[in-house]
Formats: sequence, C-alpha cells, structure tokens
Amino acid sequence: MTPLVQIENVGRKYGAVRALDNVSFEVAPGEWIAIMGPSGSGKTTLINILGGLDRPSSGRAVVDGMDVGSLGERELTRYRAEKIGFIFQQFHLVPYLSAVENVMLAQYFHSVADEAEASRALERVGLGHRLTHLPSQLSGGEQQRVALARALINHPKLILADEPTGNLDEANEQIVLELLQELRAAGHTLLLVTHSQEIGRMADRRIELAHGHLAQIVANVT
Amino acid sequence: MPAVPRQTRSGRVRITGMFWRIYKRLLWASRGRLALAIVAVASGATVCAALVNLELDSSDKLTREFRTLGANVIVAPATMAGESATMEQRVIDQIGDPIGDGIGSIGTPEAAEIVAASPYLYLAAQAGEPTHAVPVIVAGAWLDQVARMNSWWQVQGQRVTERDDPARCMAGRAAASSLHLAPGDRVKLRHDGRELSCAVAGVVIAGGSEDSQIFVSLAAAQHLSGREGRISLVQMSVRGDAPEIDGVVQRLAGALPGLEVRPVRQLAAAEGRLLERIRGLLVATVLLILVLSALGVLAAMAGLALERRSDVGLMKALGGSVRSIMRLFLAEAATVGVLGGIIGSGAGLLVAQWIGRSVFSAAVTPRLVVAPVTVAVMVMVALAGALPLRLLGRVRPAEILRNE
Repeated sequence: MTPLVQIENVGRKYGAVRALDNVSFEVAPGEWIAIMGPSGSGKTTLINILGGLDRPSSGRAVVDGMDVGSLGERELTRYRAEKIGFIFQQFHLVPYLSAVENVMLAQYFHSVADEAEASRALERVGLGHRLTHLPSQLSGGEQQRVALARALINHPKLILADEPTGNLDEANEQIVLELLQELRAAGHTLLLVTHSQEIGRMADRRIELAHGHLAQIVANVT
Repeated sequence: MPAVPRQTRSGRVRITGMFWRIYKRLLWASRGRLALAIVAVASGATVCAALVNLELDSSDKLTREFRTLGANVIVAPATMAGESATMEQRVIDQIGDPIGDGIGSIGTPEAAEIVAASPYLYLAAQAGEPTHAVPVIVAGAWLDQVARMNSWWQVQGQRVTERDDPARCMAGRAAASSLHLAPGDRVKLRHDGRELSCAVAGVVIAGGSEDSQIFVSLAAAQHLSGREGRISLVQMSVRGDAPEIDGVVQRLAGALPGLEVRPVRQLAAAEGRLLERIRGLLVATVLLILVLSALGVLAAMAGLALERRSDVGLMKALGGSVRSIMRLFLAEAATVGVLGGIIGSGAGLLVAQWIGRSVFSAAVTPRLVVAPVTVAVMVMVALAGALPLRLLGRVRPAEILRNE
C-alpha cells in the first residue's frame, strides 16, 4: 500500500538549535500513530511540518504525494485547508464565533460554508444542543469536541492532534478518546502527539522522539 | 490543487454570506475599539467636511466681503489730464443703473455683478469763510452708491444715503480737521464765484485720499463747477474673481469706445492673493487633520491587531489565505471610515453653517459632492490607519499557536 505520509531524513534547525534531526518514517492510510517523547524532543515541530505550518530545513515530508516543504505559500494554504485537520491542546476556537460558526469557518476557508453540515458534525460529537454557544460558554471538553468537529468537517486526509487531551479532565478526556477511536474505526489517518502512555498504547504504532532524533518505533499488538 | 466540492443542500451559506457573518461578529466583538476609531475618523471628517464646504463657498462669500472694500473698476476719459478732463454723465446709462432692481448686471446673467457704481466729478474748491479759505477737493457723487461701495468706511455722525441731497455732505477726516468741522456743522464751498453751503452729516475715516475730500451730491458738484452733465469718472464695485472682472472690463471697453476702462489692479491682485492663501491654509489644515485621523485609527487598530494575532494564526492554520483574512479586517476598517465619514459629513455641514453665520452672516450653501468625497477620503484614511491589521498577514501560525 502506498504510504500516506513519508518522512525522509527530515531535519529542522532554529539557529543553532536542532529541533529535528534526520527523522524518517512512513504512515499508511488509516493508521493511528502516537508521537511521543519528552518536552523539547521535536514532537510539535514534526506535527507543524506535516501540517504545513513550518518547513523542514532538510529532508522531505511527503503527504498524499505532495512534498510539503516545496509548496509555495498559496499551495500551502490550500494544502492546509484540504488535506489537514488540526486539533490543538488549547482548542483554539475563535472566541467571537459560535460553536457552529467555528466549524463553518473551516468550511469557509475550504470552499463553501454549510450550516446544516456543520450542525450535523457537532451533533455527531454530542453538541447538537450547543450550536449557538460561544467558546466562553462551553466547557474545555466541549470546546475540544467543537475543535474535533472542525478538524473533520472538510474530510481531511490527515488529522494532526497536538496533545488533544492535555487540557481536559478525566471525564472529558474519555469522551474525546472515544471520538478518536471512532475516527480510527472510520478509517481516518491520525497522528497524535501525547505524553500519555495509555493513549500511546491505543495507537497502531508509537513513534518516540528524543532530542530531535527518532528513538524508536513501536508497533502495538492488539 | 482543486477544492473538494461541497454538496449544495438546504441551509447552505454562500461564501459571501459567511463573510458577512464573520464580519458582523468581528464588529460586535471589537465594538469598543472600533467606536474609538470611528470617533477619531468622525472628528477628522467633521473638520474636513466643514473646511471643504467653507472653501467651496468662501470664494463667493469672500468676494462679496471684498466688495465692501471700495471700487475695483474705473471708467474714465481716455486721457486723464487732471480734473479738467471730463466726460458725459450719460455714460452711466450705458453701464446700467445699479439701483434699478437692486444690483445691476452687465452682459450675461452669469457675468460678475455690479455691487455699486457712481459717477464722480472732482473739483478744487475753497472752503470756509473767504478770509480764511482753505483749498479742498470736492467730490460730487451719487452718495447712496458711495455709501454702498464703501461700507467699510468709519463714519462719525451719519452717512448720507440719498443720492441727490444738496443740503447735506460728508467731510473726510483731514478736511474736517483743517476746517474744524464736526457733524452738524455747515460748510461753505466756493468755485469760480459759485457757492454751495451744506450741512456736514458725517466725518469719513477712510485711511486714503478720501480723508481730504468733501463729498457732495453729483448735481451739487456739477452746479458748483459749472459743468452740468459732466463727470470726471465712474467708480464701480464689481463682484467676481480676477478673470471675471477682466471680462467685465473688456465688455465695458467694447461698449464705451473712446473711454478708458481699467480694473484697480492692486485691489484685485490682493483679493486673489488672499483667496489663494486662505485656500492653501485650508488644504494644509485638511491634510494635517487627515494625518491626525489616520494616527487615531492607527492607535485603535494597533490594540486590535494585538488581540487578533492568535485569531489570524488559527485562521491561517485552518487554510485561510492572507487575502481572505485581510479582506475581513479591511472591511472592518472600511466600515470605520464609512461610518466616521457619514457622521463627520453631517456634523461638518452643521459646523460650516455655524461658521458661515458667525463669519459671513450667511448660511453656507451645502455642496452635495462634499459628503461622498469625505466618506471616500475617510475610508482611505481608515485603511491607511489599519496598517497594524495589514501587518497581521505576516503572522506565522506555528509561532502563535505554540505561544498560546
């Protein structure tokens, strides 16, 4: 099977600091990968490169046949809109837009905003009754579920989640993990940065980074 | 990279619809800062609209004011050879009687108007008792027109406002001083054995040659000099700018062959220079105010830009192009310009009316073009002041999202 993601000798330097150094791996379509490692090991840098928010200093990051590092600004913008779904630890919802409008925002940048579809996406994550609420009127777990609906609304090839449960209490963490399990069952490809060994064990494989290097890749036996 | 087509279905919001939806949310969320920016723009627009309204109206109003400063066109015999050179009084009939319907006009209705005109006959006479006679210049004129043409004169006593009042006259300050005349005194004037006695209605302070003259009615001067039906010259006060006055001079010269028609260049040029200076001052003030307004918007927008950094980073991460994101923010800034411009245009007109009534004692004619031009200029000012928002296009989403 052709890999959806190919990371080939990717390095990223910020001045004298090597955030990533010669990292290589592949991800097959539908795989759930947990990216793990201590703080400063390069996890977020890797996610940012795959999401088109950053460029590698060396090597290639190919997603769905596109070399992300070689894309121009315009192509990169379309790449982010069409290929990637982001979930952030801090949720990052637009504070003055309602829940449904936050989802519609992703649609708007992608192509056409569709309120009915955005509403259904929120209903699927259990927020059908919170459509018109502002982020400030939602709990952390609810905000992360809005972010999840937003990440999925454009049917992205790759979902990138940076510590998606890092700011949640146990109950909300469980709800979000169940939703992620559903995504996996639906065949979505997911790269998830986490410190949690438990979440790491739920993934198909764990990619462990240390000081910007690829320490090991562990396949979880289910 | 073609966009994945989204199915059309009920409840669909078109991109433009979503744009306006976000735009409305942005306006409401930032209403405090935007209100400050609107106040800055509206204040600038008020002063600019008032000044532009005044500027457009001021040429006419100032020209009217200038016309109280005396004659600016002279009709005289072709060769000026002292007081003896005279011409027929009926010349004035060819110019037009400015009394007629109030203000006469020459040529087409669009032509500059005659504010006032008077024939003058000058003669050298002796004033006072024969034993203490003092030489004076007697100016015979239509005294009603002289008053109208020289409304800026200071007069102690009364002006003579009837055209042919043989019993009353006015004395220039220097002449009154040398003859020890005060309002109410009588003065005797003699010339070639003829005598005229009149009561001094008022003493004129003009600051010029008029101060040493005694003004009597034209008929009285003609009788005193023995030159019935003759005049030395015609003085006219014509409203208009320099080219309009030149046009009047040319038309009169064509209508009055053999006579010299000339503008009082010094006065016309001084009026022109003053108008230019006032216009320059207004333009400089308007430019300064526009810059200050832009700085006011800049200050309000700088705070807004700081608040928006994370929003922009997120929108870029979600696939928003710099163009589509900036379009939202610039629409917001343009709204500030439009609202500030509309408020300022209305307020500016009121201020212009107030200044018009205070300074010119007349309402300023509203110019329709001022409002749309003010709004357009204020939109540009607001967009210029929105520079901090435009700089948000450079935000790198990874840095913003990491720092949150």
